[in-house]
Amino acid sequence: MSEKKPQQPEGKTAPENTTDMDRREFLATTAAVGGAVVLGFWLPPSAEAASVPVAAQPWYREAMVPEINAWITIAPDDTVTIRVGQTELGTGVFTVNPMMVAEELQCDWKKVRAEYASANRDVKEKAPEWTLKVPGSGETDPGGAAPVELSGANGVYRRMIIHSSGNVRESRYYLQQAGAEARERLLLAAATEWGVPVSELVAKDSVITHARSKRRTTYGAIAAKAARTPLPDPSKIKIKTPDKYTLLGTEQKSLDVPLKVTGEAVYGIDVRLPGMLYAAARACPVWGGDIKTYDFDRIKNMPGVHSVVRLPFDALTKSVGFLCGGVAVVADSWWRAKTALDALPIEWDYGPSASVNSASLYEDHMAAAKGPGEAKTNEGNVDVAMSRAAKMVEAVYSVPFSPRARMEPGNATVLVTDSRVDIWSGDQDPQGLLRRAAKLTSIAPENVHIHSTFQGGGYGSNGNGPQGEQAVAVANAVRGRPVKMLWTREEDWGTGTKYRPMSVCLFKAGLDAEGWPIAIEVRHSTTWNLGDMGHRGLSAPPYFVPNYRLTLHAPKTHVPIGTRRGTGAAPNGFYMESFIDELANAAGKDPYLYRRELIARNPAEPKLGIGGFAHRDDFLKALDMAARMSGWGTPLPEGWARGIAIDDRRRPTRTTSTICAQVHTVEVTKRGQLKLHRVDVVFEQGFALMNPLSVRKQIEGQIAWGYDDTMYQATTLQDGRAVERNFDKFPVSRMNEYPKQVNIAFLKTNRWITGAGEEAIPQVPPAILNAVFKITGKRFRSIPLKNHDLTWG
Amino acid sequence: MAFALLVNGVQYSVDAEPDTPLLWVLRDSIGLTGTKYGCGIGQCGACTVLIDGMAVRSCFLQASRAIGRKVTTIEGLSADGSHPVQLAWKEFDVPQCGYCQSGQILAAVALLEKQANPSDADIDAQMTNACRCGTYHRIRQAIHRAAALRG
Repeated sequence: MSEKKPQQPEGKTAPENTTDMDRREFLATTAAVGGAVVLGFWLPPSAEAASVPVAAQPWYREAMVPEINAWITIAPDDTVTIRVGQTELGTGVFTVNPMMVAEELQCDWKKVRAEYASANRDVKEKAPEWTLKVPGSGETDPGGAAPVELSGANGVYRRMIIHSSGNVRESRYYLQQAGAEARERLLLAAATEWGVPVSELVAKDSVITHARSKRRTTYGAIAAKAARTPLPDPSKIKIKTPDKYTLLGTEQKSLDVPLKVTGEAVYGIDVRLPGMLYAAARACPVWGGDIKTYDFDRIKNMPGVHSVVRLPFDALTKSVGFLCGGVAVVADSWWRAKTALDALPIEWDYGPSASVNSASLYEDHMAAAKGPGEAKTNEGNVDVAMSRAAKMVEAVYSVPFSPRARMEPGNATVLVTDSRVDIWSGDQDPQGLLRRAAKLTSIAPENVHIHSTFQGGGYGSNGNGPQGEQAVAVANAVRGRPVKMLWTREEDWGTGTKYRPMSVCLFKAGLDAEGWPIAIEVRHSTTWNLGDMGHRGLSAPPYFVPNYRLTLHAPKTHVPIGTRRGTGAAPNGFYMESFIDELANAAGKDPYLYRRELIARNPAEPKLGIGGFAHRDDFLKALDMAARMSGWGTPLPEGWARGIAIDDRRRPTRTTSTICAQVHTVEVTKRGQLKLHRVDVVFEQGFALMNPLSVRKQIEGQIAWGYDDTMYQATTLQDGRAVERNFDKFPVSRMNEYPKQVNIAFLKTNRWITGAGEEAIPQVPPAILNAVFKITGKRFRSIPLKNHDLTWG
Repeated sequence: MAFALLVNGVQYSVDAEPDTPLLWVLRDSIGLTGTKYGCGIGQCGACTVLIDGMAVRSCFLQASRAIGRKVTTIEGLSADGSHPVQLAWKEFDVPQCGYCQSGQILAAVALLEKQANPSDADIDAQMTNACRCGTYHRIRQAIHRAAALRG
């Protein structure tokens, strides 16, 4: 594909004026997208009812009622529509982001509606000045915010990408500011109209009152005036501290749930447009490979086939995230496109990595771990201390590759014309997709429009790989017709997604005569070279060890590596929290009390490096609470045991954390059947949780996520490609395996937490495996357990 | 080749190969997109619909096999989300991403048709759809609640 001209498809390339759809009708349709109606959608009766807090098609619409600022529009009947920058992929942003705005706006929550913000508007419009400065002095300031990473995100909607549990952490302050700015303007407009000082007005539940003159108006009545009333000095906007919250901190049900129990919620896969074509794509099964030849003649007469589009693997497509080259068949229905694609003779050029397999990669990792590495921590003198140890403990831990494995296979619906790109998609990074679509089509970013849909899970910062980008490439080749590109499940897990990488972690500890560690050496071999993924959680453990060294070792791999729910904290937490259990066992001590002692040995005043974590006392509280909740130490039936683990997803480059301690009560039958009966969770709430119901749901889900990692999930590499490409070989646990009892308690602390989207994952595998060890006497140092023999007795 | 399907009480004339999986006829020919594609091999349950009241995975069933039978999709459960299972799902705020929930709800409806007051063991045995967000805890509570709502 050249950079300027769109790739011409092979097949029915009708001139534009003879396509199935009249071009003028088409433009009218796409123009209407910004308004209210898209032709061709199936709309059940209830979707049209004004009482639904979220429209089935939740994307941005130009305001038909007064817009106070980019986040807020107010209709005459007091309906407040709040725009959400981040994509709703199940984490609750469509509810909690409006809550953060509404808290300050002091509007009637029952009349709040949510819809998406616009990435296109974000390109064209600069961030309001008053959102640029983070208030307060960091995460220990209740009137401030935890450190944010918004540099470069200076469009009007700031952070639209959703990842790293960062939605509340990074957008709370400016969403509160947006609500406060609008409230002050509504008040100012009313005060001006009544000729009274603004300080005498009170706003509550969308009503403004002036007690002295007994006057009253509503947000809906004053909104048009407020929209034209600027604040004299918006930099004076203050945000509420948590002690003043009335809506935030209460349990609010998800605004989008009513749509999700009727089938009305439109996901990317559900988008239907007039004249729409369907595409099924297949990329080279070995990453880095490309297509050699294919024979379109063999399928061109199959029912409904329109054309075939080559998806090249060149400098341009690599720059937008393609992982290999491939081909897409375009047809009048997706099943016909897929059927024809299955019949298309393709010869692949697998590239240089076609002989790689998991066993050879594991050997590479072991060799790398034993070779020289990059020291991330080197505290005291590990080698001298080791030579004085009374006892040595050594262990080798590992995890395999694993994909995000969301339920909705990768897809996007795209219309490219010569002057404009429209993309309907659920994507974790709409701003990035917009930029990449512009690059692929040579159409200016200002003319690229993303119509965000609901997303069937995400679990990694770029969602499901280059789904949107590939769809743009296909639609670019059939300009003038909208195309829905949808991957098969096998395509999605085989070549679409990125992976949590394989890693191998070598531990060596020297214990003193009482069994306390005097030195620990950690050699971690991982290809997770994104930021601090390889060393977060390992560079400064919460356990006081006077001599400690961590080195990172980076073998090479062709497997695409990305963020995955739990991030580097998950494998690293599994390693650390299992190994500390091993040390407790070697010392003949209780694993809870052993942890407790080593945490308590940290200095009260944190220092840099080891002992450098600031939250010693809160760690102890969380650990004690979890032990107490679970009945730690009380008798259990034969074949049952409790395992404990604690982690705070701390990052060496940041000061924020979220402490989470868990106890898992596990049964293993003598024949090796594992049953997780009960989980007790203590989760840090910091100053406040914005929507505690949403956090509970997140934690409940993370128990299942961590359990699946522990029990089942692995991607094996053979001949350079992924073996497990569908649910038959990549199991996801079902209802019967979910613990019958999950107890969640929140621990209040004096700071803002990191977030809640993945903070309860790292503890799950070690807690389960620590219990399994107690029952079976077998210490499993790699997951998933499906590869191990759990029989005992 | 055209054939007729009875879906949610409406007779549709469908122009598709009769061996097309029912899922794709529902989604792309008829336009009922509440039924989702997850795996295409009958494993995950996202495509669950009711055929004559039984929960069936529509991605793995040729559309022609549904001719002359009553197909119910999530859209046909109620006009306004007022089916007891839907009400219970809302009460417990079950969905997260929501992608699997049409299938989960229809599986629960089929379960309650068979067992009006299912035990936890019944729920374990009958609810075999995958949820990657891990909403099982709330699905279980909601099924018990729906059983009570049905009286």
